[in-house]
Amino acid sequence: MNNLVQNEMMKLLAKKRLIIIGLIVGILVLMFTYAQYKQVEEQREKLGTDDWRAALQQQIIDTQNRLGSNRMLDEWREQLQVSLKQQQYYLDHDINPSEPGAATFTRMFLENAIDLFIPLLIMIVASDMVSSENSQGTIKLLLTRPVERWKILLSKYVTLLLSVSIIVAVTALLSYLLSGIVFGYQGWGAPVITGFELKGADVDVSQVRLVEQWKFLLMDLGLVWLVAVVVGTLSFMLSVLVRSTPAGMGIMLAALISGAILNNMVSSWESAKYFFMVNLKLTAYISGTAPPIEGMTLLSSVITLLVWWALALIVSFTVFTRRDVY
Amino acid sequence: MKQVTLSVRDLKKRIGKREIIKGIDFELNEGEVFGFLGPNGAGKTTTIRMLVGLIKPTSGSIHICGYDVRQDFTKAMKQMGCIVENPELYPFLSGWDNLLHFARMLPDVDETRMDEVVELVGLQARIHDKVKTYSLGMRQRLGIAQAMLNSPKLLILDEPTNGLDPAGIREMRQFIRKLAEEEGMSVLVSSHLLGEIQQLCDRVAIIKGGEIIKTDTVESLLSTQERIFWRVEPIQKGAEILSSFTEITLDQKYIITAYDELKTPEWNAALNQAGVRVHEMNRKLPGLEELFLQVTGGGAGIE
Amino acid sequence: MFLSKPKVLAITIASAFIGLFFLFCLGWAIMDHYGKGTSDKEVIEETAIKKNDFPDDFTVVAIGDSLTRGTGDETGKGYVGLVIEDLKSEYNRKPIIHNLGINGQVSKELVQQVRQPEVKRQIQAADVILVTIGGNDLFQKGRTLLEYDREAITVSQKSFLGNLHEIFKDINKVNDTATILLLGLYNPFIDLDEDFDTNRIVRDWNNETAEVVALYENAIFVPTFDLFQLSVNEYLYSDKFHPNKKGYRLIADRVAPLIKWEDVER
Repeated sequence: MNNLVQNEMMKLLAKKRLIIIGLIVGILVLMFTYAQYKQVEEQREKLGTDDWRAALQQQIIDTQNRLGSNRMLDEWREQLQVSLKQQQYYLDHDINPSEPGAATFTRMFLENAIDLFIPLLIMIVASDMVSSENSQGTIKLLLTRPVERWKILLSKYVTLLLSVSIIVAVTALLSYLLSGIVFGYQGWGAPVITGFELKGADVDVSQVRLVEQWKFLLMDLGLVWLVAVVVGTLSFMLSVLVRSTPAGMGIMLAALISGAILNNMVSSWESAKYFFMVNLKLTAYISGTAPPIEGMTLLSSVITLLVWWALALIVSFTVFTRRDVY
Repeated sequence: MKQVTLSVRDLKKRIGKREIIKGIDFELNEGEVFGFLGPNGAGKTTTIRMLVGLIKPTSGSIHICGYDVRQDFTKAMKQMGCIVENPELYPFLSGWDNLLHFARMLPDVDETRMDEVVELVGLQARIHDKVKTYSLGMRQRLGIAQAMLNSPKLLILDEPTNGLDPAGIREMRQFIRKLAEEEGMSVLVSSHLLGEIQQLCDRVAIIKGGEIIKTDTVESLLSTQERIFWRVEPIQKGAEILSSFTEITLDQKYIITAYDELKTPEWNAALNQAGVRVHEMNRKLPGLEELFLQVTGGGAGIE
Repeated sequence: MFLSKPKVLAITIASAFIGLFFLFCLGWAIMDHYGKGTSDKEVIEETAIKKNDFPDDFTVVAIGDSLTRGTGDETGKGYVGLVIEDLKSEYNRKPIIHNLGINGQVSKELVQQVRQPEVKRQIQAADVILVTIGGNDLFQKGRTLLEYDREAITVSQKSFLGNLHEIFKDINKVNDTATILLLGLYNPFIDLDEDFDTNRIVRDWNNETAEVVALYENAIFVPTFDLFQLSVNEYLYSDKFHPNKKGYRLIADRVAPLIKWEDVER
C-alpha cells in the first residue's frame, strides 16, 4: 500500500499540478491583498482617520441606512440585521473584527474561499485522478498488475487526501506570507468572537466568547479541510464514473456554481439544504453569519456533507472494482 | 510434456444481448509463440482483455500457470506480463520512473532487475529521459521492459508491431523469438497481419466473429492455403492442362492453383511438354482476406 | 525504504501529518462550537470609553436624520459634506468627519444613539457637533400636517423637547467644550398650504427648540426656515421633502462660517 501511495504521489508531483495551484493561490492572494489595502486607504481618505472604531461605526450607520430602505428583500434584511447586531457587539466590546495583520487577512481569505475557491483548486487535482489514467490508457497497465483493484483505487484516494491537505496548508501559508508583506505578520493573539447563535433575525449572545485568533484560524482550517475533502471525494467519484477529465470537471463546476447561486436564493426552498453545495460555508457558523436556509446548523451541515462523502466513496469503489476496461 | 502456461476454456462474453465472444478454447505451452490472427473487430482485443483481467468474462475459465484469473487474480498476474494495444506509459515521468512505478506494484523486484530489463531492451542511454521525448519504437521497448519486470512465464502482446517502422518490426520479431527460445517464455501475440504472424509464431488461431475458426501450426495452415500464380501462353491451353491436375481459378491473365511442393514441378513439366510457355510462376501467400474467404468457405467476408 | 524517491517520500509523510492535524482541527472546531470547547468562556464586559487617539485633529461629528445623511443630494454629500469641503478649502487641512446620520431617525432614537459607547467616544473627541433632528418627529412623513391634529403635534413637540434636553445633556457629559450646531426645520409644505397653518406650526416648533438650545451655552440654533421660505420648490428634491443639491448648498453656506477652527481651544 505504501508503495502504491508513493507511486501516485510521484505521478502527482511530476504533473506539477500542485505548483500550478500554488501559483494561482499566490496571484489571487496578491490581488486580494492589494484590494484590501486600497479599501483601507479609501476609508482613511473618507473619514480622515484610520481609527477602526470610527470605520466600524460608519459601517453600522451604513447598514442601518440600508435597512431603512423599503425595497429590500426580507431575507436580505434579516441577514443585514444579524450582521448589524454583530458589528454593534464588536464595537460595544471594543474588539476589532478586522484587526490589521496577516493573520486576520488569512482568516478572512479562508472564510471567503471555503465555498468556491478552495473547492475549485481541489477539483484541479481530484477530477483527473482516475480519468487521466483512462484517457492516457495507462489504466490497462495499472490493472494488470498483481494488485487488487480496490487497493489501487484506495491508494489514489489516500493520495487525494494527502494532496487536499497540502493544498489547504499551502493556501493558508501563502496567504499569510504574502499578505504579511503589506499588513505585517502580526495578529495571532487578536481576540475573535465566536458562539453567536442565530434564531431567525435574532442573535443570541449568551454563548458568545472570545477566542484568540490563532485558535480561530485553526478551527477555520479544520472546517475548510473537511469541505475540501468532501468536494475532492465527489470530484474523485466523477473521475471514476466519467472517462473524460473535462466532463467531470464541468459537472463539478456546475454543481459548485449552482451552489453559490442557490445560497443567495434558496431561503424559501427548504429541502435544498440536503444539497452538498449549499452546505459548504461551514466557517459561517463559527463566525456567526446567517446560513442560507433557516434551521441549518454546523452539525446538520457536517452530517449532510459526510453523507455525500460516504455515498461518493461507495459509488467510486463499487464501480471501479466491477467495471470492464475497454 | 511441456508445461501449459495458459489455458482458456469455453470463454464467452456477452454485452447486453450481443454475444461478442462465442466460446473460445485454446492452450499455450511453455516456450511457444502463439498467434492470434483476425481482422479488426473479430474479438481479439476483447479476448486478450479478458485474459489479463481487464474485462470479466460472462462464462468460461482462464488459467495462467494453473491460477484462475478470476479467483486468484494476483497470483495469476504475477506469472504474466502484457502490453495491451499501445504501450501507454506516463509521458511526464522518465523511463526509469515508469519502471519504478510498475516495479513497486510487483513483489520481489529490485533495482538490479530493473537494470537488467533496461539492458535487455537496450534503453540504457535514454532511460532517465522523459517518456514524452521517446520515439514510438523506444516506447514499445520500454513497454516490453515493464512487462518483463516480473520475469513472467507468459507474455501477452497485443499488436506489438503496430506503428513500428520495418526495422523496428524486424527487431521486435527477433526479440520475441529470443524470449521464447532462450528464456522458455510463452508468448501470445495478436495481429491482423498475416505476414507478421507467419514469421513469428509456432501456432496460430484464426478468430472471426468471436469464434476461433481454426487453430493450427503455421506451416500446415499456410501450405494448404498457399497459391501459385501462373502466367502462361497460350492461356487457354495452359488452363486446360492445369485443370486436369487440380482446381484452377482464372484471374485476368493469371491462372491460380494451389501450391504443392511435390506436384508443382510435374505440372510445370506437363505445360512445357504441351508447348505452353511459362513466363512466370509466382508463389504467393494468400492475403488475410483471401485466407478468410477460403477458411470460412467464402461469402462471410471481413467485417 | 524499498524503491523510494526521498523527495516523494518526504512530501508524502509531511502531507500525512498535515492531514491528521487538520482532522484534529476539524474535531476541535465542532466540539468548540457545541460548547465543550477549550476556548475561554469569559463574560466580556462592556469596556470604558476609549481615549481619542487623535486629540489634535479637528473633528466634526454629525448626528441626526436624513438631512445629515444627505438624502436628496445626488452627489451624496449633503450639507455635512459641503461644510467639510468649505473647511478644507479655507484652512487647507482636512478635518476628521464622523457622519452618523440615519435616515428617518427621530429624537427618541437619537437619544439612544448618543448613549452608545462608540458614539460617545466620537463625541468626546469632537470639536464641532452638527445636529439635524425633529423633522421626522414633526412631519412623520407628512401625516401630521395633513391631519392638522393640533393635539398630536403638541404631544410630539413636548416629547421632542424632552429628548433634546437628554441629547444635549448626554453630549455635555462627555464633551462640554464642543460647539453644538442644531439646525432648525424648514417647511417643505409651504406651497401646498394656503392658510399658512403649517408655517405657524413649524415656526412655533423652531421657537421652542431655540429656547431649549439657549439653555446650553456651547449650543447654537441655526435657522433654515427663511432659506426655503420664498422659493421652496427650487431647493427641494423630487420627493418634495428633502433638500436638493442647491438646498444643501444654502444650508452649508449658513453653517460653515459658524465653524472656526482656531477658536477651538482643546
